[in-house]
Amino acid sequence: MVSDLTTILILLPFVSAILIYLIRVSAIRSLIVLLTGFTLIACSLLLIPYAPFTWSPHALFGVPLHGVVQVADFVLLLVILYFGYIRRSILIQALSVFQIIVMVYVEFFMVKGPISTDIFYCDNLSLIMVLIASIVGSLICFQAIPYMKNHERHLHLEKSKQPQFFLVMILFLGAMNGVVLANDMTFFYFFFELTTLCSFLLIGHDATEIATKNAVRALWMNSLGGAAFAVALPLIYRDLGHLDMQMVIRTGPVAGLYVLPIALMCFAAFTKSAQFPFQSWLLGAMVAPTPVSALLHSSTMVKVGVYLVLRIAPAIQLNFLSQTVAVFGAFGFLAAAALAVGQSNGKKVLAYSTISNLGLIFACAGINTPEAITAGILLIMFHAVIKALLFLCVGTIEQHIASRDIEDMRGLYAHMPLTALITVMGVIMMIMPPFGMLLSKWMAIEAAARNIYAIIMIALASALTVMYWARWAGNLMSDPYAGRQFLLKLEIEKQAALTWLALLSLCVGAGVMSVAAPWVYATMVAPALGGAYVPPFTMGGGGLESTSGTFAVVPLCIVAAFGFLVAIWAVKRAMRARVVAPYLSGIQTDDPGVFKGPMNQPVKAWARNYYLLSIFGEERLTTWVNLSAGVLLTLMVGGVL
Amino acid sequence: MINNYVLVLAGLAAGPVIGGLVSGADRIITARVQSRIGPPLFQPFYDVAKLLGKEAVVVNVWQAFCAYAYLAAAAISVVLFFLQSDLLLIFFTQAVGALFLVGGALTSTSPYSQIGAHRELLQILSYEPLIMFVIIGMYLETHSFKVSDILQWQEPLLLKLPFLFVALGYGLTIKLRKSPFDLSTCHHAHQELVKGLTTDYSGPFLALTEIGHWFEVVFFLCLSALFWATSWVGMAILLVVTYLLEIIVDNVSARLTWRWMLGYVWAMGLALALVNLIWLYAAR
Repeated sequence: MVSDLTTILILLPFVSAILIYLIRVSAIRSLIVLLTGFTLIACSLLLIPYAPFTWSPHALFGVPLHGVVQVADFVLLLVILYFGYIRRSILIQALSVFQIIVMVYVEFFMVKGPISTDIFYCDNLSLIMVLIASIVGSLICFQAIPYMKNHERHLHLEKSKQPQFFLVMILFLGAMNGVVLANDMTFFYFFFELTTLCSFLLIGHDATEIATKNAVRALWMNSLGGAAFAVALPLIYRDLGHLDMQMVIRTGPVAGLYVLPIALMCFAAFTKSAQFPFQSWLLGAMVAPTPVSALLHSSTMVKVGVYLVLRIAPAIQLNFLSQTVAVFGAFGFLAAAALAVGQSNGKKVLAYSTISNLGLIFACAGINTPEAITAGILLIMFHAVIKALLFLCVGTIEQHIASRDIEDMRGLYAHMPLTALITVMGVIMMIMPPFGMLLSKWMAIEAAARNIYAIIMIALASALTVMYWARWAGNLMSDPYAGRQFLLKLEIEKQAALTWLALLSLCVGAGVMSVAAPWVYATMVAPALGGAYVPPFTMGGGGLESTSGTFAVVPLCIVAAFGFLVAIWAVKRAMRARVVAPYLSGIQTDDPGVFKGPMNQPVKAWARNYYLLSIFGEERLTTWVNLSAGVLLTLMVGGVL
Repeated sequence: MINNYVLVLAGLAAGPVIGGLVSGADRIITARVQSRIGPPLFQPFYDVAKLLGKEAVVVNVWQAFCAYAYLAAAAISVVLFFLQSDLLLIFFTQAVGALFLVGGALTSTSPYSQIGAHRELLQILSYEPLIMFVIIGMYLETHSFKVSDILQWQEPLLLKLPFLFVALGYGLTIKLRKSPFDLSTCHHAHQELVKGLTTDYSGPFLALTEIGHWFEVVFFLCLSALFWATSWVGMAILLVVTYLLEIIVDNVSARLTWRWMLGYVWAMGLALALVNLIWLYAAR
């Protein structure tokens, strides 16, 4: 059973991807996407009772598996080299040639005998990642079906490019399942590189000048990470004589042995998770259709990096490397939050918020206490669901109002009431208790309290985070005076059923997960801590309690739900109240936001958000942030030499 | 269990009663400082009662939602404090209320509300890290985030966290809407933004935000009281002195710009917090 499920989770996307490419009929393509998605969801759920398990298949359809991956690996690197060649990027060519040389050396000159005991290993951490990739990833693919139809109609394409698009989207899910289940590090490396290639293809999908440029940037930055990972392989093999990730972690670095390869793996993780100074590839990725952003930001790609560091965290406990990862992560959390404050572009706010949250997860991995690791895992889960939701919301809004600027979303509630409310709900779940995201942040802060460098940055960052989210939610509900007639008889806007399916299930899912957080912790997260950490929380009265803190999840949810109902009742009552125009300090006219000024002339009164560009503008901060991050990275890699 | 119900009720009562009385006393003392007689002690209660009796008028129905959510979150945070829960959690709950108050102002399109809301966000941005540092300082000293454990501590925290108490003072000044940090809205009639943040809240909804504010004041006073929780007399002295200082600061200083506030509070607050935290780390 385990072998079947694992095979389906990794291989089905590959098969479906090929079918999607070959059968160029829209209806059949949609059907394949739906069937693949639902199968992945079902298989990932069925896998839950079997974790932890190991699985070492020796052959795939009669061909030795290791040989298949070996060949695929070189093909993959050659494909990247090819793209480097046709995009005329010396950097990509150099990096892929370098990786080919390293891998030839490892595979043909270095390795003798079996590389690892177990090819695949699935504990609860992998399981959580599989669930995220399969469920959230599939929902995003579902929403992509109506989205891409609109997208291509808007672009007036003569020949649909959807086969390529869905090929890569579905392939991505398989690569993601592969990377989190792989235990043999050559397999891990193959899937790791495959996600790099997929993201390159997706970012460049629209083939505009800017899309191509950003895709190339994403490719070279991630190739740099891939190269770092590739270098780690021979170093580990030299020291330990195998490339089995679990055994590497269990050995723990003895007297500085193989700390360098682990530092290189952290470096690879930082590029993958777009930490400063590599943030530009993720920011550039927003030129792609929105489902791509949703996929990259929530359930795949960037989550590989944080997964990798959380995975190897037990190996660097009480190590200088762990300290630097904590500080580096906290710095990313702070810097990205500050940059998000200066943005009015909704997608960019989301992108910086992703970088920021990933920074916090890295900080948790670096702090490396049981509480911190728990917080990191919970953050991955909640962030995946809520960020996917928010991206899909922005995509839906963008197709409707033809803008992704927060300023243009003012009063969106009057035009798209349900989408606006779901977006507001997403924002609330991002920053407010009793929801899971804040529960994890609470854990992270309590865990970080003993690390003075990290905690100062985390405290500042969490205040900045609140600022950029709150104003966005407020803007969505801000009602231009003209909209008030609609308020009483608002009609729910029309959207494709698959869009509603994705939005509502993500929104409800995040809510349910929040209420069930204590049980999620007990059944999923606590076992994921493995033997390396003692589960830090106990469940009591529907809440989580540690020796130094307590968070009564369920009682708070009940009180919050009660408060919510009262407030909704107040809204119902207020609908019967007198609705007046906002105060403008002048005689009101019938026009919204216009008052009668001197000489009876109409004067328009309006205000924009504060973006504080003189402090938080990109031009002002980016250089310094990149420099500081570079210094910290040098400290990290240099510190272990 | 019965004890817990009593604590919940006490928390729910403490907000309006103590918060209102503090507000009344504040108005009298402020008036005396300015050589006026001032209103009766119960004036804030009369004001709120009158507002509650007025017609409900809104510019956006979601204002009602925000007003209720603000009050609810502020009340829950005080109740959680009385139940001696986790300080960080209580602070986050209080922050929910503060954000809903801002949200209500943002739902109006009036520039006065909008600018008031953004200034309030800047105020939140200024004080939030400081309060978090205060809570972390308490944790480093007592090894717990729970109010119940902090109350068990045998020594006044003020002795070990003096700089953090000053940092809390900055937060308190912002939270009490006192000069020089009353940018978003203020109690006095010298506001260039009309009533700023609360411009478009009116009638019963304005009353709710006022009661919410009382709860918040009580929460912040409770937080200050933790600094000398070993004796009732000490607690009383600390709170009275602190509040009197707040009133004096309010009366002798002019309102300043957000740029100044953010720079000053972050720089001073961060420096104070750092010194105190390093001290605690070194002592461990």
